[in-house]
Amino acid sequence: MVPEIESEVLEVRGERYLQSNESMFTFYKRTKGEFSPYFLALKERKVILGAKCPKCKLVRVPPFVLFCPECDFEPIELVEMPDTGVMNSTPPVTYFAHSLFEHQVPFGRGRVLLDGADTALPIHVYTTKGVLTPRIFRRGTRVKVIFRENRVGKPTDIFAVPIAEIPREKQNVRGLQESALDWESPVEPELPTPDVEAKKIYHSTLLQLKKMASLVAQSERAQKDLAGWKRRINVKTSGGCFTLLIDDGKLDVQEGEVKGPDFIMVAKHPAIFSDWMSFRDSLTNAIIAERLWISLNREFTTVFKLDRLPRSIKRTGQ
Amino acid sequence: MREVAIIGTGITPCKGRWIERTYYGLAQMAVKAAVGDAKISIKDVDAVAYGIYNDIFELSAIPEHPLQGIIGMANKPGMRITSGGATGSYTMMTAYTWVASGLYDIVLALGVEKATDCFDFQSRTSTPEVIKTIGWSGDTFFERELGWTASDSYAEVVLAYMDEHPGDLKDEVSAKIAEILCEQVQNNPYAQRYGEKVTAEMAMNSRYIVYPLKLLETCVYTEGAGAVIFASADKARAICKNAGHPIIWVTGVGAANEASVAGRDERHKIMHRILSDHLAAKAAYKMAGIRDPLKQIQVIELHDAFIKQLQITMAEMGFVPLGHADDLIDKGLMAPGGPILVNPSGGLTYGGHFVGGSNMFSCWSACRELTNRNMERALVHGTGSTVAQYGVVMILERGS
Ligand SMILES: [Zn+2]
Repeated sequence: MVPEIESEVLEVRGERYLQSNESMFTFYKRTKGEFSPYFLALKERKVILGAKCPKCKLVRVPPFVLFCPECDFEPIELVEMPDTGVMNSTPPVTYFAHSLFEHQVPFGRGRVLLDGADTALPIHVYTTKGVLTPRIFRRGTRVKVIFRENRVGKPTDIFAVPIAEIPREKQNVRGLQESALDWESPVEPELPTPDVEAKKIYHSTLLQLKKMASLVAQSERAQKDLAGWKRRINVKTSGGCFTLLIDDGKLDVQEGEVKGPDFIMVAKHPAIFSDWMSFRDSLTNAIIAERLWISLNREFTTVFKLDRLPRSIKRTGQ
Repeated sequence: MREVAIIGTGITPCKGRWIERTYYGLAQMAVKAAVGDAKISIKDVDAVAYGIYNDIFELSAIPEHPLQGIIGMANKPGMRITSGGATGSYTMMTAYTWVASGLYDIVLALGVEKATDCFDFQSRTSTPEVIKTIGWSGDTFFERELGWTASDSYAEVVLAYMDEHPGDLKDEVSAKIAEILCEQVQNNPYAQRYGEKVTAEMAMNSRYIVYPLKLLETCVYTEGAGAVIFASADKARAICKNAGHPIIWVTGVGAANEASVAGRDERHKIMHRILSDHLAAKAAYKMAGIRDPLKQIQVIELHDAFIKQLQITMAEMGFVPLGHADDLIDKGLMAPGGPILVNPSGGLTYGGHFVGGSNMFSCWSACRELTNRNMERALVHGTGSTVAQYGVVMILERGS
C-alpha cells in the first residue's frame, strides 16, 4: 500500500530535504526443486519425509540435502518419519509482528526433533488451551505434528501441539488434522476467592474503566483503534467480574458477566487493568508473564487493540 | 603473512534517521574522517572492501558501485562483502587479508547502511518495515513463512541457553548491563542514545519485543557509516609517526560460521551455544598468543544485538564460564573499575547499529580507547545471520 502522494519536503535545521514514496518488490513462480517430494507429501499424503544417509545413517528433517556432506556427498534416501517428537529447545513466541504476519499473532516458531531424526524441523507451535505464552512449550516437551485442513505445500501446512493436549485415542493417529482437535474447551486458570483488598481494588478499577470508556467517546484516535470491531468479553479477576463491550468504536464497561461472550479474560489481580490504564504495564506484557489469560489465541488481536487505548486517549488530551 | 596495522578510523554520527544524507553522502563522510585521522590522501589507498548488508535497505542490487568514484577510488580494486550482522567484521577481515597477503599495502574497509528509509504506510512508522526487510534474511524454504525475524532467531538461542543453564541470565543482571552501557555511551558523542538516561529499572520494565528480550536491551536501528584503514608494517610506522598517534596492530583474526539447521550435535547448530563466537575467539587468541583473555584483554567491543546475547558471547569467548554469564555483574567484571571495559562506545544497543558498518564503529571505539586510555589490548567482535550463526573476532594491540 503506497499512498498517492509521490513526494514531500521535510525541514531539518532550516534546510529543505525532498523525500519520495518508493517500493521494491518482485513476483515469483519459485520452484521447490528437490524439496518438491517433501512439500507434496505434506500436501497430498499428510506425511513428513526425512533424508537418510545410507552411510552414516544421519536422518535430516526436513530433507534439505540431496547428498550427505559428512560422507563425501553420498546420495541420501527419502524416508517417512513419525509425526511425534520433542521440542529441541524452548521456542520464541511472537506477539508483535510486521505486516506480513500480524494476522497470525501470537505464534510460536519452534524446532521439533521428530522421533528418529538428527536435525530439528522448523514448525509453528500452538496450544488448544487458550492463549499461547512462552512457558507452554519447553525443551523436551513432547509434541505431535498436526495437519491443516487446507494444505498448499508450505511450511505452514503443519504445526505442533503438546501431545498431552490430545486425547489418548488420537495420539497415535497418523496425519491428524486440525479439525480433529478440541479448540473450544480451554482450561481457565483458577482464581483465589476474592479477599477484601482485591474487592476494593476491583471497585476502584471498575470506576477507572468506566471513566476510560467515557474518554474513548471523546477521543477520535481511540475510536479509530476500536473501529469495525465488535466483542463481548467476560473479565474474571480475583476481586470480581466485569464485562468489556466493544462496539464499532465504542467501549462500555459493566459489572458482572454476560451470557455467551466472544471470549473470556482471567486476570490474577484486578490491578492489572489499573496498571494498564496508567501506563505501568501493558495487557500484552501481562499475558506474556501469565498474569492475564485469554481463552482464544486469535483474540490476542483484541488485546492488541485495547493496548493502544491509554496512549490514544492521552494524545487526545494533549 | 605480513604484519598489519590500523592507521586510521572514522565514523559518522549514528542517527535513527538521516534525512539529510543518502548512503552516498554517509560513505563520503566516513572515508573523509578516516583518511583525516591517518593524515593521508585517499590517493594513497590501494583498494577498498565495502560492507553493505541488505540490498533492500539501499534499494539497489549493487549498492557499492556508485561509491567507487565518489570516495576517490576510481580505477582501483573494490569488492562488496555481505554476511548479515557480521558484514562489517568480515569486511575488515577481507581488508586485513589483502594487506597481510602482500597483495596491497593500504586497504580501506568501508561499512555503510541506510535502514529507516523503509516505511510501513499502514502504521506510519519505519520499524515494522525494517523488521520485514531483515525478515528476508531467514531460510526462505522452511522458515521465512513461519514468521522468522532476526529478533526471534536470537531469542531462540537465548531461550535454549536458559534451558541449559536455568539460573543464569537473570533479568536484573541484563538490566544492570543496560544501565552501564547507557552510562558509557555518554562518553561517545557520535552515539545514537547520547544524552539519554536509562536506568536498570527502566530496562527491567521495558516491554518485551520477543520474550525474553526487552526493548531497552535490544540494539537500535541506525543509519550511518564507518571506515577503517589497514596498512602494512612499514607503511603504518611512517603514517602513524606522521599522524602523531600510536600504531594499532592487528595481532589476531578468527571467524566461524555454524550450520544454520539445528540438530543433535556439532555438525548442526547446537541451539544453546554460540559456537561461532567460541571458535572465532579461539582462533584469534591462538594467533595473538592469548592464553587468559580476562587477564590479557582490557577493552572489548562486542556486537550486542541483545544484552542477553552479549552475556552468552562473553562466556563463549572465555571471559566467564558458560552458565555463569551473570558473573559479569555479580563479580563486578564489567562494572566501572572492573578488570574489563565492555562496549565503551555504548555498543550496538546504546551506540548504534548501522548493520554494514556497526563493526567498524566498534573498531573505531576500540582504537580510540587503546589510544586515549593507554591500554594494551582490545577485542572487536561481530555476530550475524540466523541463530547467531556467524562469528568474527579481531584482536588489536597498541604499539608505540
Ligand atoms: Zn552421511
